[in-house]
Amino acid sequence: MEEIKGAIALVGYGLAAIGPGIGIGLVVASAISAMARQPEAAGMVRTTMFLGIAFTEALALIGFVLFFIA
Amino acid sequence: MEQLILAVGECDPANEIICRPENVIELFEFTEPLFSIGPFDFTRTVFLIFLAMIIVLALLYFGLRGKGLVPSKFGVAIESLVVFVRDEIAIGIIGPEGIKYFPWLLSIFLFILIGNAFEVTPLINFPITSRMAIPLGLSLLTWVIFVFVGFKKNGFRYVGDLAWPTAVPLALRPLVGLIEVVSVFILRPITLAVRLFANMVAGHLMLTLLLVSGWVFISSVGEIGIRALIGVPWFVFGLGIYMFEIVVIILQAYIFTLLSAVYVQSSVHPEH
Repeated sequence: MEEIKGAIALVGYGLAAIGPGIGIGLVVASAISAMARQPEAAGMVRTTMFLGIAFTEALALIGFVLFFIA
Repeated sequence: MEQLILAVGECDPANEIICRPENVIELFEFTEPLFSIGPFDFTRTVFLIFLAMIIVLALLYFGLRGKGLVPSKFGVAIESLVVFVRDEIAIGIIGPEGIKYFPWLLSIFLFILIGNAFEVTPLINFPITSRMAIPLGLSLLTWVIFVFVGFKKNGFRYVGDLAWPTAVPLALRPLVGLIEVVSVFILRPITLAVRLFANMVAGHLMLTLLLVSGWVFISSVGEIGIRALIGVPWFVFGLGIYMFEIVVIILQAYIFTLLSAVYVQSSVHPEH
């Protein structure tokens, strides 16, 4: 078996991206169905959706930064 | 940038089909200052900070100086941006008293927007927000403001309510209080800064790697012949990312301002 080369931090970043990926999908899916049910509330839902995405995305970005630090 | 081209150039495209830079971390090291005045070093980043400041001031001055009844098209664009920050972020998030924080929110929104926009500006191509000092400085400013407002509005009950939340069962209060205090006072400024910083670094890195690699391959067509064509899809992909980055630039400036407003709002009305 040949030797596998590369940075283990890359694997760590891949693992760190799983959770936020699922989380952002859930946030956006709920926002879309909320906007479809109540189009008049679309503005408020969009603001809250960006907030939710920002909080969820932070985990993946911390993993990205740790990839460079490690 | 020059280091990256050198690192790609050292790799021999005739033997290795994909060249990658030796050490990407060189992108983050500080360059030699152009000149120094006392303890202050002036690098390209410092000039870009001042340039962003001047651009923001010029935009606001020339956009809003019109005395006539009908503003110019440029004036309308600047005005709608200002009104968006006032109505959607300052008043929409903080409430009626958000008008007090509107000048600060508008300043950080425009400064981050211009600073990010340097990423896709030809001949500059460097977002100043991808240096950690600038997002960290801005987020520490946000931290100082929301902690100050919290203490001013609520006195020492601000920390007391966070550290000893009476809404949860007694046995859980120390744990929940600890998590709340750590997340409000330590994690908030860090994640606020890291979010902007990491988005800009990721975008800058993707653009640099794709466009420079594509250009290096295409320009060495005389030496490696038909294999130089591998640079074409890289270059096209880089141009696609270029469009995507324009969206990210606007979105990150909006999110930074929005989260600052949300943090101030949670200090003004801590019970919600």
